[in-house]
Amino acid sequence: MTILFSEQTSEESAAQKPLHPWRKKPRKFTISVALAVVLPFLVVLALLLYSNIPGALVMVIVYLPLQLLAAGITAVYNRGVRSIGDSMIVVLAIGATVFSLVILMSVLLSLVVRGIGALSAHFLYQNSVYINPSTPLEYGGIGHAMVGTFLILLIASIIAVPIGIATAVYITDVRGRAVPYVRFFVQAMSGVPSVVAGLFILTIAVSTGAFNQSAFAGGLAYAILMLPTVARTAEEVLKLVPDDLRTGALALGSTRARVVLQVVIPAARTGIITAILLGIARVIGETAPLLLAAGNNDGTVLNPFDQAVASIPVYIFNNVALPYPDAVTRAWGSALALMILVAVLFTLARVLGRGRVGKY
Amino acid sequence: MSSLDTNETLRDLHSAATSHRGDRVFNRVITGAAFTSLIVLAGIAIFLGLQAIPAFQSQGLAFLTTTAWDINTDPPTAGIWGMLYGSVLLAVIALVIAVPASILLSVFMVFLAPPKIAKILTNLVDLMAAIPSVILGLWAFYILNPPAEEWQQLLNQYLGWIPIFENASGNFLGTPFIAGFVLAIMMIPIVTSVTREVLGRTPPELINAAESLGCSLWTMLRYVALPYGRGGIVGGVMLGLGRALGETIAVFFVLKLVYDTNWYKVIESGGGSVATLIVSRFGEVTGPFELQLLLAAGFFLFLGTLVVNMIANLIVSRTGRLQK
Repeated sequence: MTILFSEQTSEESAAQKPLHPWRKKPRKFTISVALAVVLPFLVVLALLLYSNIPGALVMVIVYLPLQLLAAGITAVYNRGVRSIGDSMIVVLAIGATVFSLVILMSVLLSLVVRGIGALSAHFLYQNSVYINPSTPLEYGGIGHAMVGTFLILLIASIIAVPIGIATAVYITDVRGRAVPYVRFFVQAMSGVPSVVAGLFILTIAVSTGAFNQSAFAGGLAYAILMLPTVARTAEEVLKLVPDDLRTGALALGSTRARVVLQVVIPAARTGIITAILLGIARVIGETAPLLLAAGNNDGTVLNPFDQAVASIPVYIFNNVALPYPDAVTRAWGSALALMILVAVLFTLARVLGRGRVGKY
Repeated sequence: MSSLDTNETLRDLHSAATSHRGDRVFNRVITGAAFTSLIVLAGIAIFLGLQAIPAFQSQGLAFLTTTAWDINTDPPTAGIWGMLYGSVLLAVIALVIAVPASILLSVFMVFLAPPKIAKILTNLVDLMAAIPSVILGLWAFYILNPPAEEWQQLLNQYLGWIPIFENASGNFLGTPFIAGFVLAIMMIPIVTSVTREVLGRTPPELINAAESLGCSLWTMLRYVALPYGRGGIVGGVMLGLGRALGETIAVFFVLKLVYDTNWYKVIESGGGSVATLIVSRFGEVTGPFELQLLLAAGFFLFLGTLVVNMIANLIVSRTGRLQK
C-alpha cells in the first residue's frame, strides 16, 4: 500500500520508495484485495437491480458495512489484527469523499437538467412586468433581476473595495499599533450572519428615514458582507509584495502615500482584482439581506435610491415554492444562471490569483 | 522573506517618512478606514440592541425563555426560546454529520489521494463552498426532500423505539433532520478547508518518525496528526458552526417553522431557527412592534454568532502561532 507516504513527503518519496524493494506483493495479497473490492460491489449491484430498496439506503446500510467488513477481513488476512483500523479509515475516507462528491454533482446536475429548459435569450433580458406565475416560459425573464443584482453589486463594491483595501494597507504597510485588533474585528465581521446585515441596514433606514428599500440599501448590506473577504484577501496579496520594492521607493525619497499608491498596489494589482472578485462571489448569492433591504420589483429599476429593486437571489426565492411548474422552472433557470456567474467569478479569481503577484 | 533586520530598517524609514504632512493625512485616512469593521460591529450591536429594549420592556425575560408568537392578542406575547433552541438543535445535527465527513474527507485529500486528485478535490470543495444558499435550498426542496422523506420513514419504522426517532404526526417533511442535513452540506466545505490545511501542516518528520516506529495510517492519525492539528480542527468546526447558526434561506425552504419547542424529535415535522423566523415573519410583518421583536431576535442571533465566531478565530489563530 502506498498510503504510508503522505502528500507532504512527496518530494522525498522518490528517495523513500525503495525502502522495501525486497517485499514483493504476494499474489494472495492482490487476489484478496481484489475480492474485497469486487464482492461487496456485486452484492450491492444485485440488490439495486433485483430489489426495490431505495438506492441511497442500500449504499448506507448494506454497501458501507459490507465494504468495511471485507476490508477488515482482508487486512487481518494479510497483515494481522492491528491493521484493521487502517483498512477502516481508508474505506471511510473514500466513503466521505464519494458522499461529498455525490452531493455536489447532484446539485450541479439538477441545476443543469432542470434549469436548461428555462434559459433562452429573452429569459436573460426581459423583465417580469406583465408576468404572473402561470405565464408560460415563452414570456418574461430575469433581465430586471440581472440589472438589479448588477446595480447592487456595483454599489457594494464602490463602498467595500476601497475600505477593504485600506484595511489591508493598514495591516501590511501602515503597521499601526492596532494591527492585531483590526485583524480580530475583520475576522469577527466575517461571521456576521447575512440576515443580520440586512436587519441592520433596515434599522438604519427605518430609524433615520434617510432611505427605504432600494438598490442602495441592498448595496450597503452586501458591503458589510463583502468587506471582510476583500480585506483578508487583499492583506494576503499585499504581504506578497517584496519589501525591497517598498524600501527601494522610500530610499528614492517618495512619501509613504506614494509608496502605497504607486508602488505596492500596482505591484499587486492582479491580486487586488482577485480580492474584489472573491468578495463579489461571496455575496452574489446572498438572499436574506436583499429580502430585507432591497425588496422586490417586477420591473427594471435603474434609480438606486427610490424604489425597491429586483435581484436574482430574491427572484429565485420568490419562485421556488410556487405551485406552477413554469414558475419553478424559472427558479431553476435563474439558479443555473446565478451558479454560472459564481463559477465564472471563481475561475477568473483562480486564474488571476495564479498570476504573478508582486512582480512587474 | 523579511528578516528582523529589514523590518527595523523599514520601521526607521517609515518613521522618517511619516514626518511628511501628506503622509500624516494618508495615515489617518487609512487608519480610519481600518476601523470600519469595528464601527460596523458596534453599529449593529447598538442599533439592534436599542430595538431590543422595547421588546424586553413588553415581554420581559420571557422573550428569551418562552415560545410564542401571538402578536394580535392583547397584550401580544412573543418569545423566541423555541427558535434559539431550534437553531442549536439544527447546528448539532449538522455537526454530527459534517464533522466526521469533513475530517475523513481531508484525511483522504492529505494522506491518501495522489497529489493530482487531491488538487482536483480541493477545487471541488471550494466550488461546493461557493454554492449560494438559495440554490442549496432549491435543490433541497425538490431533490433532497423525496428521498429524505423515505429514509426518515424507514428510520422511524425500524428504530422508532429510540426517542429521537419518534414521529407521531406521520409527516416526515420539514423536519430538523433535513434542515440539519442541508446545514451539514454547507459546513463540510468550510470545515474541510481548515482541517485539510491543518493536517497538511503536520511536520513530515513526525509522520516519518511515527511510520518508522511501525505506526500504521490509523495509529499515525490517532497519535500524531489529529492531536497535532486538534486546535485548528476545533476552530474550523466552530467557524462552520457560526455559519450554520446564521443560515437563513436554505433552512427556510426545508424546515417547517413551529412556535413550539421541538426538544429532540429530529425526524418529526417542525422545528425552529432564529434566522429563518426573521425572514419568514418579515414578509407578513403586521406593524412596527412586530418588526421590533424581529430586530430583537436578530440582536440575539448576532450576539450568539459573534461569540462563537470570536472563540473560533481565537482558537485558529492561537494554533497558527504555536505551529510557527
